[in-house]
This record gives sequence, C-alpha cells and structure tokens, in this order.
Amino acid sequence: MPELPDLSGYTDYIVTGAKYLLPLLALWVLARCLRSMLRERYEPETWAYLVDLNGERHPVWHWECIVGRSGSCDVVLSAPSVSRVHASLQRDGGGYWTVSDLRSKGGTFVNGGEAGLLCPVRDGDVLDFAGEELVFQEVTRAEREWLERRRTAPGRFVGPGVTLLILTLFQAFLTLEFTVTAQEQYLFQICLAFLALIVLEWFCYLVMRSVRRTGFEPETIAFFLSTLGTAVAASSTPDDMFRQVLFLVLGVALFFFLGWWLRDLRRVKAVRWLAALGAMGFLAVTVVLGEVRGGSGSWLRFGSFTIQPSELVKVLYIYTGAATLDRLFARRNLFVFIVFSAICVCALALMGDFGTALVFFATFLVIAFMRSGSFATVFLAVGGAAMAGFLVLSVKPYVAQRFMTWGHAWEDVWDSGYQQTHAMSAAAQGGLFGRGAGEGGLVNITAADTDMVFAVLSEELGLIIAALAMFAVIALALFTVRNAARGRSTFYVIAGCAAVSMMMVQMGLNIFGSLDILPFTGVTFPFVSKGGTSMIACWMLLAYIKATDTRRDASFVVSRDPKTPEDAYDEADYEPGEDAGEPGKEGGA
Amino acid sequence: MKKVKRRANAALLLALLLVAGLAFYLVRLAEDGGAWAGYFSGGTPGGTIVDRNGVTLYASDENGVSYAADYTTRLACYHLIGDSAGNIRTGALRQFRDKLTGYNIVSGVSSGKTLRLTVDSGLNAAAYNALAGRDGAVMLMNYVTGEILCLVSTPADDPMNPSAAPADGTYINKCLSASFVPGSVFKLVTLAAAIENIPDLFERSFWCEGQSVIGGAELNCTGSHGSQTIEQALANSCNCAFGALAVELGADTLAEYAQKLGLTQELSLDGITVPAGQFDRAEPGSIGLAWSGIGQYNDMVVPYSLLRYVAAIANGGSVMEPTLLGHGSLDRAAELLSADTAARIAEMMNHNVQAAYGGEWTFPGLNVSAKTGTAEVGDGTSHAWMTGFLDDPNHPYAFVVLVEHAGGGLTNAGPVANAVLQAAVAAGA
Repeated sequence: MPELPDLSGYTDYIVTGAKYLLPLLALWVLARCLRSMLRERYEPETWAYLVDLNGERHPVWHWECIVGRSGSCDVVLSAPSVSRVHASLQRDGGGYWTVSDLRSKGGTFVNGGEAGLLCPVRDGDVLDFAGEELVFQEVTRAEREWLERRRTAPGRFVGPGVTLLILTLFQAFLTLEFTVTAQEQYLFQICLAFLALIVLEWFCYLVMRSVRRTGFEPETIAFFLSTLGTAVAASSTPDDMFRQVLFLVLGVALFFFLGWWLRDLRRVKAVRWLAALGAMGFLAVTVVLGEVRGGSGSWLRFGSFTIQPSELVKVLYIYTGAATLDRLFARRNLFVFIVFSAICVCALALMGDFGTALVFFATFLVIAFMRSGSFATVFLAVGGAAMAGFLVLSVKPYVAQRFMTWGHAWEDVWDSGYQQTHAMSAAAQGGLFGRGAGEGGLVNITAADTDMVFAVLSEELGLIIAALAMFAVIALALFTVRNAARGRSTFYVIAGCAAVSMMMVQMGLNIFGSLDILPFTGVTFPFVSKGGTSMIACWMLLAYIKATDTRRDASFVVSRDPKTPEDAYDEADYEPGEDAGEPGKEGGA
Repeated sequence: MKKVKRRANAALLLALLLVAGLAFYLVRLAEDGGAWAGYFSGGTPGGTIVDRNGVTLYASDENGVSYAADYTTRLACYHLIGDSAGNIRTGALRQFRDKLTGYNIVSGVSSGKTLRLTVDSGLNAAAYNALAGRDGAVMLMNYVTGEILCLVSTPADDPMNPSAAPADGTYINKCLSASFVPGSVFKLVTLAAAIENIPDLFERSFWCEGQSVIGGAELNCTGSHGSQTIEQALANSCNCAFGALAVELGADTLAEYAQKLGLTQELSLDGITVPAGQFDRAEPGSIGLAWSGIGQYNDMVVPYSLLRYVAAIANGGSVMEPTLLGHGSLDRAAELLSADTAARIAEMMNHNVQAAYGGEWTFPGLNVSAKTGTAEVGDGTSHAWMTGFLDDPNHPYAFVVLVEHAGGGLTNAGPVANAVLQAAVAAGA
C-alpha cells in the first residue's frame, strides 16, 4: 500500500471545511445542470409539410403526428368530414414516412388507395383525409440544415465541462474527508473507488465529445448521485468498494448500450415482444428459484454474487410499455399491456417484494395514463390494485406488519419501528451540514445503506445534500417532461416519463418509508442505495431519459444527421421561400 | 404528439408530491428533531454538568462517563443529576438531555456542551449529611432570583457503583415527585384563607383546653394553650384554633386557597412536571373538615410546592418561579397572595421562631421565620417538617425540610434546616 500523506494535523480543518463546502458545491452542480437543461430555447423542428388545395402549408413538427379535427391534434383540419382523431403520420429514424388510419369515419387514402396501418408515404403523394386532400411535401435538406443551425445546442450557455469539473471538486473534497475519517486499512480502497469514479465520468465526457455530443447534464446528475452512493458504501461497507465500482462501470456501459440500441426506432419496435418475454422469464425464474432475504424472495444467487432480477425487469417493463403513436390508439394493445403489467405486479407480490410491486404499479399508472389519456382507465386500475393489495396484505403477514407500524414507529422503538426511528434519529442528528462523511452511526444498522439511505446521507453529509439528492432526481423529471414537447416519437416520451416516474416513486417510497411518513417498503433510492443490480437498472433507465433530449447535438441516443431520402438540392441555391413557415426571412444567413 | 406531451405533465404531479412530502418532513423535523436526535443517546448523553461553582457533577465523552469525584456529593446529587440507567425521571440527564447534547436543526447534535445548574453541590452535601441516613427531602432556594440552591432526596444511590438492591424510594425524587401528609405546615394555608376571609381575625381570642369536640368527634391538641391570639395560636400550632377556623372557613374556601397557593396544582420546574398535591373537601362542620385545615385528613403536599408558597410569603406575595437552569429574560414572577397577607404571615412566622422554636438557640446568628409540622401518617409515626425563610436581603433563602417517620418537626427537621442555612450563609452565594 502506498504511503499517504500525513494529514493528522489538519483533521479538524478538513472535516469542518468539507462540511460546509460540500453542500455548496453540490448546489452549484445541480443549479448549473438545471439551468442548462431548462433555460435553453427549443426551436420547433419542421420535418415536412401538408399542403392543402389553397396552397396553405401545415408544418409537421414531430416524427409522430396526429391529423384530425380536434384542437389537440398536431395537424388540425377543420373540415367537418374529418374525424376528431383521424390518422397518424409517422417518420422513422431512416427518414421514411408512413400514414396510419386511426379508425376514422371517412377513411384515409394515399394517392387514392386505402391507407390502413403504416402505409408508406413519399414526397409529393396526395393524402386524402375523408375528402380533404393534402399534398405531402418533405422538407428539403437545405431547409433542414438551416433549421438545424437555428436550434440551440446544450452547453452554449452553461458549459458541461465546467459543471463536471465542479462535480470532480466535490468528489475530491469528499475523498479528502474520508482520508481523515476512514479506518486506515480501508483508506486505499476508498480513495481508489473515488478515483475510478472520477476517471469514469471524464472518460464518458470525452467519449461524448468525441462523437460531438454536448449534452451531459443527465449524466452529470447521475454521477453526482452515484458519488453519494459511493460515499454511503465507503461508510457502510468499505471492504466492498470494488463491487461498487464494478457495478458502476457495468451500469455506465449498459447505459451506452441501451442508448445506442434506442437510436433506431424500427429495431426498438421489432423486439418489444422479446423484452416482454424476457421480463416474464426473469420473474418466473425468480419466483421459482428466488432466495428469501429480508422477507422478500427476490434474489438470485450465482456463486458469491446475488442479483435482483426485478431491477432489470424494470428496464424491460418500460421498454415494453412505451409505444409509438400508431399503437397508442389501438385498444387491444393497451389491453395486452394491462395484462402484462398485472402479471409483473402479481409475480412481485408473490415474491413478497411489495415495494417493487408498488413501484411497478405506479409506473403502470403513468404509462397507462400517457397511452390512454383517460383518468377513467387509471381509476379503474387503482380500484383493481386496491383489491389485490388487500389480498396481499391478508396473505403476507410480513407486509401487513409494516402497514400496522406505519405512523406508529415511535410506539415500538425496539421492534417494528426499529429501523424508522433509528433513521429519523440519525437524520436529525446530522443537522443541515451533517456529522461528516464516514462519521455516522446509522450505517451499522442492517439495510441502512439501502432502505434508509436518505437518513444516512442526512446524518453524514447533512440535510442539504440529502435534499439535493432528491431534487437531482426531480431535475431529471422536469427535464424529461420539458423534452416531451419536442419529442420525436411517443415511444421516447412515454419511456422517458415512465423512467423518471419510476425513479421518483422509488425515491419517494425509500425516503418517506424510512421517515415513517409512508409504510416502510424497502425499495432503493435511485443511484444512491447500495446494490449492484439496482445501480445497473438506474443507469439503464437514464438511457430512456437521454433519448428524450432532442436539443441539437445533445444526446448520443438521437441520430445526428437524419438522412432525407433525396438530397438533390444544392445548398447555395436555397433561399427560404415566402411561405417557409415561421422562420421567415430574417434568418437567411 | 401534442396529446402525449400534455399527458407527460402527469409526471410532474409525482414531483409535486415528493416536494410536499419533504415539506411535511421538515415541519416534523423542526418540531420533534431534538427529541428524535437524543432518543438513542441512552442514559449517558455526551456533555458535562457542573454546579453553580463549577464543580463537575457529570461528564461524558468518548472516554466514558464519570460523576462527581466526591462520594458524598455523588449521593447528595443523585436525584438532581440522575444515573446512567435513567432511573431518575426528574434527573437532569433525562430532563435536560437536549440542552446537554446541544441539538438544533442547523448543526444537528453537537455533543460536549456544558450545562451549569443553579444548585450548590456543597449545600447538597451539607443537607445530605444533616439528614444522617434518614429518608426525606431538603430544598433551599433564593426567593429573590428563583434559583434552587439545594435539592436533596434520600435514600440515594451512588451512580458510579449502582446498588443491586436499592432501598425503597431510591428512584423517587421526594422533592419533586412525591407528596406527603403535611401536618401543621398546612396551617400556613388555613392562615392565609383566614386572614383574607375573617375580618376580625386579629381581634379574636382562641380558647384551647387541650381538646375540643367538633361534629361529635374529638379533636386533640398538642397541649392545653388557654386563651391565645391568632399569632400565639400559630406559634403553639394549636389544633383547636385552626380546626375551628377550618370549620368556619369551609371546605370550598380551603380548597380554593390550596389551589391558588399552588399546593394542589400541577406545576412545572424548568419543564419538569411536578404533580399536584391533594385536598379533599370534607363535610361542613365535620371533624374531617377540621383535620383538613391542620394538614391531616386526606391532605397531601409535594415539598416543592410548599417551598414555592413559602418563597412567595418571603418575597412579598409573589414567587419568582424556581429554576435549576437559571432564568432567561422572561419575567416569571407569579402572585400567589396579596403583599399585605404575605407580610402578616411572614411576621407571624418570625414570631414562631422567636417565641416557640428557640430563636437564636436553634438558628445561631440567623433571623429565621418558619413553621414546623409533625404529620401523623397513620402508622404511629410522624413526618417531621420545617419550612421557612431567612429575612435577610443578603441571604434571601427559603427552605423546606422533610424527614420521614422522624417524629417532631422542630427537633428533627429543625437541625437539618439550620445546617443547610448555616452552610448557605457561609457559602455566601
């Protein structure tokens, strides 16, 4: 082991300094990420036009559009023969357009032929929506590039490199604090783990830059949360730092893989059924072979490693649940999804993993609402689930016990309220700035580094950082919801929203469960809770969020330069026309 | 796309719920954080407790727990501080734990605070020694500032070497948590009621032939006192006179005064709850009513409450609320009785000492005003009481002494009172 510099004389300065500096740096990182994610303007992207007989051009602003009479449609046709929701017009990653009739009264036709589902459309084709004829006109390459230039790129106002630098500073101070507080024999491993984390994040950053992608805020937030997770691990199980790093690297690798996979929507759509099958297979294997731990039988053992397949099922579940627009309006699809969800939730309840079942159910609600848009469906689902919930409570005394304790933790401090009361006590002891990394006592309690991780953060790093961890996840949610406005496909939007919702529900159950505000269900805090599979799943969920980012050159998940089928135009000849839509003439340069 | 975009806002609802949950937590944290933070620190929270002179009575840090160095001081301060097992409910270790651990919402727990109490451990030791192994309670306070200077309850235990089988009553702080038959010290209550409700009280003469018949039953007296003024009747502690006054005043008036003077009220000493004493209303004209006016019948009094009343008498009718922690800026005087009544009672208590308690012989060099009590507890024994104060602006001390099952008030409680008062004046606090 190499000699570390002797810092014993500066112990107090380091601990006190880090105590106040860390929240400040964390706040700075988060503020910069938020500013970068939320302040930049989104220019509408025009992908094609529908030209009516009067020569009026209806711009098509998304890859997936609904044509209809209703004001909530993307292309509004006011003729009374057109159905309220008439047809969908979709573009895929390769630049090919299709039109699908959405069971309209008057029918949809392409060049006179019945459209049906996913009927190909080319430049110049005449689309007939119940008698309303429009010419489909693709945007030219030059026009696209001109629009492309106008779009703001991330990092123009708030440099992601600087944000990452501040995060690195945060990590450095945290490491420094551990050099003072950690036990001698673990010091080397802890420092190495933080070093690996820093190397990993800069490696990711450079990879992004090398493929000329500048959006790095979701990753920065995820790395910030992972840093807190590493700090918790360093405090609770310093002898196990290698595993923490290993799973982090694995998670990041799978994040890149899933992101890359999501780039091609056709490929994504083609294997959705496989994902569904995979999810059910995982769950089936776990139900049969699962190892019971802490009352829930959701663990699979491979030699010395244990994994929680239900965590990976989360990723597959969202993959299966999200849908492109043409699918969205087919009742049958929603029904199949409901059955699939019911199977997943029931399997989890069967394992006794009540918390994860709850997370799945909440995610189901979000997906169901986004797909159907109807509160009735959601209420129906809630009603059904409530009945199922009672059933679970009556057959699983262990779960019922937790519900009984809910709100009464202080009445049975040494038994059923043991974890919650210790968590609350520790959290209060930390105050706003914490007792110092590695200085807490809560980590010695079973499952503190997973189920009570908010309290561990509060105790060691203070309430400010613990709350910032929560706001970091909320920031991801704000970002995703904002991106929905310019999403290219409903698949990405639904998947992104489902992913952030899943994270938020999980986080809510984790935080408020440990604080006796909700029943104690034992789910993980995204990125922060210790646990390999959970860490991997979180990073993969992040890929869904990344896929919603359509700012210019922001996300590696979004293809950079979509090919238009014809690129015959010479850019130099191009002048935006009078009726080229809202860009007008002023931006001709 | 537009539709889905709108529906995406549903996710914001979750974010809102999270923020609401956090706000709810913060409110609870602000309210109960101190209690949460200290809950698991056990009986030995980190920090130091010292007495008014800086004598360490308790210290706890990473090196362990220690109590006062001196053995007698440890026993004398046992109920003031408490022990590591948390046996003493009213002990500072349990009652002032949050002050000791220094919790606040910003910096959380910062252990190692020093808590200074108003008590002088030297006086505690003097009182403990004066009790000489008898069970009882001794309190002494400064009636001008409200500071409690002495608080001793016996039997006590050594917190450094806890006894495996402690004597009965070891874990009870008899000053604050237990009530006793008051006997004649309760005549101070009947007296206050009589002064304010019987206009010709000071013109009357009270006849005593050693006993009287009230409600068909016999009321016996301590002696045959003949004809007396009210002043003489108090000095003689004449049961015939005060029994008659009690019957004349009635149970309701007596109960009202017991309540008003704080003896049957639940009180609070720096947040420590002191239970109410007891005064049962007896039938009008009955022997029970007569006995209730002279501190027998079902009367029960907590020593602290009696001290608080006597401090009010000494301080012109209003009491500076007693404290163990020292006062903040709050004006915490409470008027218990009129200045006039207080002055008259004070004067009569001074006469007691001069005329009946031996004056200079009992309290050498001190100008004490007091009232004794010999409370029959029903098993043939009596509790010895003495309560009073020093009428001295440099040493404004009020005291209460209770020695259980000890016999006569003057002969048993008197020397203990003298010992503590002498020590207090010598300490010159």
